[in-house]
Amino acid sequence: MDNPIIEVKNITKNFKGLKAVSDVSFQIEEGKITGMIGPNGAGKSTTFNMICGYYPASEGHIFYKGQEITHKKAYDYTNMGIARTFQIMKPLGNLPVVDNVVPSAFFGRYGAKSLKEAREIALEVLEFTGLYAKRNVLAKDMGTPDQKRLEMARALATKPEMLFLDENMAGLNPAETEEAIALIRRINDSGVTIFLIEHIMKAVVSLCERVIVLHHGEKIAEGTPEEVMNDPYVMEVYLGTKGGHNNA
Amino acid sequence: MKGLSQYTIRKRIAMALLMILLLAIPLFLSGKPYLMNVFILIFYTSTMSMAWNLLGGMTGQNSLGHAAYMGLGAYVASLFVTKAGMNPWLAMVLSVVIVGGIAGVVFYPCFLLKGPYFTLVTIAFGETIRQFVINWDFAGKATGISLPFGAQSFAEFRFMSKVPYYYIGLAMIVGVYILMKIISRSKFGFALRTIREDEDVAAAIGIKPMRYKVYALIVSAMIAAMVGSFYAYYNRYIDPDLMLQTYSVEFVLPAIVGGAAFVEGPLVGGAILITLSEFLRNEFGAILPGINLILYAVVLLVVIRFRPVGLLGWYSQSKAKAFVDTKILKKTDADKEA
Repeated sequence: MDNPIIEVKNITKNFKGLKAVSDVSFQIEEGKITGMIGPNGAGKSTTFNMICGYYPASEGHIFYKGQEITHKKAYDYTNMGIARTFQIMKPLGNLPVVDNVVPSAFFGRYGAKSLKEAREIALEVLEFTGLYAKRNVLAKDMGTPDQKRLEMARALATKPEMLFLDENMAGLNPAETEEAIALIRRINDSGVTIFLIEHIMKAVVSLCERVIVLHHGEKIAEGTPEEVMNDPYVMEVYLGTKGGHNNA
Repeated sequence: MKGLSQYTIRKRIAMALLMILLLAIPLFLSGKPYLMNVFILIFYTSTMSMAWNLLGGMTGQNSLGHAAYMGLGAYVASLFVTKAGMNPWLAMVLSVVIVGGIAGVVFYPCFLLKGPYFTLVTIAFGETIRQFVINWDFAGKATGISLPFGAQSFAEFRFMSKVPYYYIGLAMIVGVYILMKIISRSKFGFALRTIREDEDVAAAIGIKPMRYKVYALIVSAMIAAMVGSFYAYYNRYIDPDLMLQTYSVEFVLPAIVGGAAFVEGPLVGGAILITLSEFLRNEFGAILPGINLILYAVVLLVVIRFRPVGLLGWYSQSKAKAFVDTKILKKTDADKEA
């Protein structure tokens, strides 16, 4: 790959005795959308959280634009231009939607100097993500699709170059999924590199240029969505073997 | 006032009227020291409650040891005045700086604990300081410290009448309120509220939770030290009981009853609770000793049971506010965006 923005080299995560992720390496190409799939418990979220600095890798190295970030804290990522969303939505429930996004405008790379400036940035991002009409609603009073959007709005208001999305479409109906796909594509078109974990195959196929497949904490396949979907081992992992001894 | 909406203008007039009323009260009540005392009590208790609310209400770190910071402030200022003969105003400033420093350094590790565990440590911390002072010869042990009496003098922070204390207390509460209002709308305030709602989110958008919690604590302890110094100069006597944990609770209650999510919560709660407790003590204390405390407890239980978000939490969603906003203050839709 010519232009990796993120380079993951042989990362492993041990939780006490359990090896959740084992010796995984891959690269994320700048400007593209890369996806990660795998059955439940495959280690997707663990890998994701290690790259995002939520907890450190037990072994291995992670590089962002050539700079090692393996042991950086989550709060140091924002200024480097990395943002993330959470799988389980974490809206600041008791605050209006706009105030959920204002802190990002203050602390992100926009570095708003005043509340007025921060609000302008926040409203712009809400417009972009389609939440403008709900700007004064309390975040906890919104439904799942809007809270998922809010996760993205909050991340975008830090002005990232690299955006990590953790199962941003889980729990959405087909129509809402379509809208989310369109939004992710819009974000990517604005120049943000995206890495996403997703269960919904349709979304992965239509969005991602490269897909990484994890199973039991190991990388078992990598390539374009078509290549990966036709990989015999991936099919076995997802659908079981023809013989019928499906022990999943 | 060009460019301001009618709502903003009317709101400012209402604030100005309230200020004029507060400034004028001593003109009518200067002959009634008891009532003046109630006002001074409201001023410093509400200011303490605002200090608590910065850490508890805005940052979500519930401290039950704030009396210790106030007590420390009172002790540091009193020691400077009695032992070093320092000017009380200077001693107050030094006390604020020193207590802020102690809070930042000593208390820093406590933020490694979260939720109820943090609260428990604050109780232990307050009690430790109290025990330290009780056993400290230089600070008069359990006897406490008496501040020198003498001729009335502004420079010595010593007045015969309660009126000057009233105005200093009023200046204190207004000053701290304005500071809180500024913090609430600043980058600092948004960091604190984000931490209150979710520390993981805070870290994910570049806020260092530990750093901002310590900042909030330092500011909070500094205000507590200022109130402590004022308390010492006003009462002219302090003892270690000032740091009892029951006093810490008295600074939490106004914020909870008034609405901890609001900067104004401690002010509303303080005004209501102190007035109520003094009224009950006067009316019923002589008839059946202790009945005033029972009634006070009943009122607290009722508020917490039926209005858990505090009186302002209820008011901000109520028809009463809608009426005041649209009919009296002439609020328009454009004002909601501002």
